[in-house]
Amino acid sequence: MNILIKWLGLNPDEYNQWEIRWAAAGPGLEAAVLVLLVPLALWFFWTSLARIRSPWRKVFLLLLRVLAFSALLLVLFRPELELRKGHYLKNSIAVLLDNSKSLSIKTFPDEQPRASLVRQAMEKNQPYFERLAKTFNVDFYFVSDRPVQVSSGEIATHYQPREPFTDFGRVFADLRKKYEDQSLKGVMLFSDGADLNQAPDEISEELRRAVASIDSPIHAFQTGSNDLFKDLAIEAVDAPDFGFVQQPVNLSVTVNASSIGNKNVSLVLKEGDNVLISKMIEIREGTARYPVDLQFTPRALGKRVYSLSLPLFAGESIASNNRREFQVKVIPDRIRVLHLNGRPSWDSRFLREVLVNNPKVDLLSFFILRTLGDDVAAPTTELSLIPFPSNLLFTDYLNSFDLVIFQNFKYSPFIEKKHLENVKAFVENGGAFLMIGGNLSFQGGEYERTAIEDLLPVSLLREKQAWRKDEIASRPVKGFLNHPILRLEKDDAANEKIWRSLPPLSTLNTGLRPETGAQVLVEDGKGGPVLAVAKKGRGRAALIASDSSWNWNFRRVGEGGSGRYYQRFWNNMVAWLSGDPATQVLQLETDREQYHEGDEVLIKGRVLKEDYQPAAGEAVTLTLRSPAGGVDTHALKAGPLGEVAFAFTPEEEGFYHARAEVKRGKETLSAEAGFGVFGDTAEFQKPLVNPALLEKIAAISGGTASVLSAQTDLSGIHFENPEVLVKTRSKAFSLWDNWAAYGLIAGLLFLEWWLRRKSGLS
Amino acid sequence: MRFLGATIFFLLTWLPFGPPAPAAAEDYSSFTIPLLRYPGGNFNPRPEALRSLLAQVAARTSIEVNREPVVLEATDARLYCYPFLYMGGNEGFRPFSAEALAALRNYLSFGGFLFIDDNSGKAGSAFDTSVRKLIADLFPKNPLQKIPRDHSIYRSFYLINQPAGRVRVNAYLEGLSIKGRTVIVYSANDQGGAWSRDKLGNWNHGIIAGGYQVRQHSIRLGVNIVMYALTLDYKKDMVHLPIILERLRRYHSQ
Repeated sequence: MNILIKWLGLNPDEYNQWEIRWAAAGPGLEAAVLVLLVPLALWFFWTSLARIRSPWRKVFLLLLRVLAFSALLLVLFRPELELRKGHYLKNSIAVLLDNSKSLSIKTFPDEQPRASLVRQAMEKNQPYFERLAKTFNVDFYFVSDRPVQVSSGEIATHYQPREPFTDFGRVFADLRKKYEDQSLKGVMLFSDGADLNQAPDEISEELRRAVASIDSPIHAFQTGSNDLFKDLAIEAVDAPDFGFVQQPVNLSVTVNASSIGNKNVSLVLKEGDNVLISKMIEIREGTARYPVDLQFTPRALGKRVYSLSLPLFAGESIASNNRREFQVKVIPDRIRVLHLNGRPSWDSRFLREVLVNNPKVDLLSFFILRTLGDDVAAPTTELSLIPFPSNLLFTDYLNSFDLVIFQNFKYSPFIEKKHLENVKAFVENGGAFLMIGGNLSFQGGEYERTAIEDLLPVSLLREKQAWRKDEIASRPVKGFLNHPILRLEKDDAANEKIWRSLPPLSTLNTGLRPETGAQVLVEDGKGGPVLAVAKKGRGRAALIASDSSWNWNFRRVGEGGSGRYYQRFWNNMVAWLSGDPATQVLQLETDREQYHEGDEVLIKGRVLKEDYQPAAGEAVTLTLRSPAGGVDTHALKAGPLGEVAFAFTPEEEGFYHARAEVKRGKETLSAEAGFGVFGDTAEFQKPLVNPALLEKIAAISGGTASVLSAQTDLSGIHFENPEVLVKTRSKAFSLWDNWAAYGLIAGLLFLEWWLRRKSGLS
Repeated sequence: MRFLGATIFFLLTWLPFGPPAPAAAEDYSSFTIPLLRYPGGNFNPRPEALRSLLAQVAARTSIEVNREPVVLEATDARLYCYPFLYMGGNEGFRPFSAEALAALRNYLSFGGFLFIDDNSGKAGSAFDTSVRKLIADLFPKNPLQKIPRDHSIYRSFYLINQPAGRVRVNAYLEGLSIKGRTVIVYSANDQGGAWSRDKLGNWNHGIIAGGYQVRQHSIRLGVNIVMYALTLDYKKDMVHLPIILERLRRYHSQ
């Protein structure tokens, strides 16, 4: 061998094996043809030797021909000589020790933590592992949501059940990657099987795939048991991230009971100290899980923190899982707008298009298409008109709306005057009202001395001609360009420029005198109000004294602009009237919604004056309420832009509540924000040992599952140990594609020809 | 006495005229139907049609109308004061200039409405050919299509089964929609001819193959087209549907 290697010009020390390899695809059709033809050719060849008398010479000639054909066949099989250097690989065994927090839970009756069982098993079976290490690479890992390799010596000193999450899917996927180029022949898993990602008695498809990909048996050792384990736990809460104010929110809760006995327990849902709902659960021996459906209705906007609690019984293994908090961001439902139009007009057409296309608006429109004086010249059955449901709208259903719009609408004879009082009460209780001008609005609609006049930001003066058709300028009042309704662009200068560029209005309702406390945001060129707003009780009211705001859309398009600022204006109007949080003069938020223990929390706020200019220097009181009920108050001062900020590091986990207050005269403005601080206690939500999961992992992989005890002897666990050869160097030489192979064939044929000639054959 | 006489003379001569009145602003808020003037052809073969239709709209509905005639070209700066345009004719017309096409396209795309009325009373008229070319030039990728029977135009005020007119060239209306809004409605049945009446109230044109009822249906269609332009799909709001569908069921079963 060494001679051959040297003859090939290589170093014999670099190669210790050789092998002849044949073409993988084979010679194919040509070889098949040759195999069929060769015997026939040999037969003809043999018969052609009849004149040679010497049988030895005949046999020799035939042998030469056979050798030539054989050499040709060999060439077709393209043989190669491979020289290589290789060694046998030592197989590996992975020993996985679960070090998640659930291993700190005591097991009964010994009342020792599950992790102690692991330590004892490792100590007792140390000789077994030492023996195993002679024939295998034995690798030890601490596993929780990932495998961390440790030496055998570190187990006694470093094994602590501290990790916050268990995720076997990721552990096995990582393990497969680690042993991609190695020969893993077995896994030993010491765990309680409490993987929060797995549903009870099920194994996820992801974990199933990860286990199968290991391609070697996993022997699972169940660490701890559920015998005598006493615990009542809120195992899972399925709550939506957000809900709509005044709309029911559904909750699905799973309660787990272990060794509690037959008891009726009460599951209580609270917001702060207020009990929202409680439900009795009948706990019975033999049943562990109790699904509970709850429904509650958020009454206020913002991030609301709710808590679920169960009673704590004496002797429970874990107390913290009897209470669970969760947060729901309560947002406004779609803004329900009742839009009454006195007559079809371009103003109403363009506004309706904006409202219909606003995804936040749920619109109910009514147009008065005919009046009593109109002659439709057709029976009712041939008309598409429907009666105006005045009584229903203004008695039963009024409070289901957020905004009522009277657009060029004269209430008589469609609405009884007494029902206008309902509109006033609706606004004072938190609703919103908007009157849009036209000759049927304000005085034209005979609203003087009605409840609607009380609602309006103006009083209605007696004027002979309270409706004017003319070119009317619309000039934002200085100081109000920051008002959310007038914010057509974020940049101040750009916003002012846009307002200057809007086409003039072509109609104006006159004889409107602003009320005390009202804000006139836009004036005509002579100081008359075009757009005015006011707060009325808990609600908001606004007016536009013209039915030609559509000029800001269509006429602006004709001037080379677009209708987008018209749309933005009306969307701003709806947002302000409906009390959108972004339109509040005091705002409060946190930089994140959830924090981990030890994270710094930043609470930010903004204080604006009533004209939405920054309230620089204004005093703000920030009250922080901790999960345990502790209250801290901090005096803050608004910066030049009205901003306030407060940073702190929470000491407790749970949900915190922040409230900012600003005192303005007799009024106190307030804003709230909530946030959660979470410790790593998720492992205690599902504290039970999960033998079913361990059995499934073992079954899928072809391993075994057993319960670990202080006496467990692992010496019965055996692993396959096949020889696995690994090449480190190789070199191949062609045995056919060279002059020697073809020379051999030619030489054999030449020798045969020469002998034939000598024997007198041609 | 002479002073008294002078005073009376002054009052008689000055008072009726009064102090100089401010120039009246154009009435954009009232519903107006401008007539579209276009190059070539006859853009106003039914000069009384729009005034007559607006009178009917005023009498039958709550819409406030402006009956003053307004004539505009597609490039007129005042086009955007009037989101509704009427285009009538009975002859072929020259293609619109690129500037006029761009202006009309912009007008229709951002809120305008165009009602086209073939007053020739003939199928495949020269006006019809010109109109189809105009629309192909305006919106090459968005051809005219038959307006379906459940379109709001057929129920915006009256419940209408079929479009009538002075003649019955087509038993349907054609239209073109942009983002769900029908911006062009085209009738080949000479609606203007059916609407048109003189100042004494006499109808200007007889109805071919029909009488009073057909003319009434044409006027109803005119009212519905106006109502659609002002309210769009309002009648498809859920609050209207049950009543309208019930009435349609009864109406169709008659």
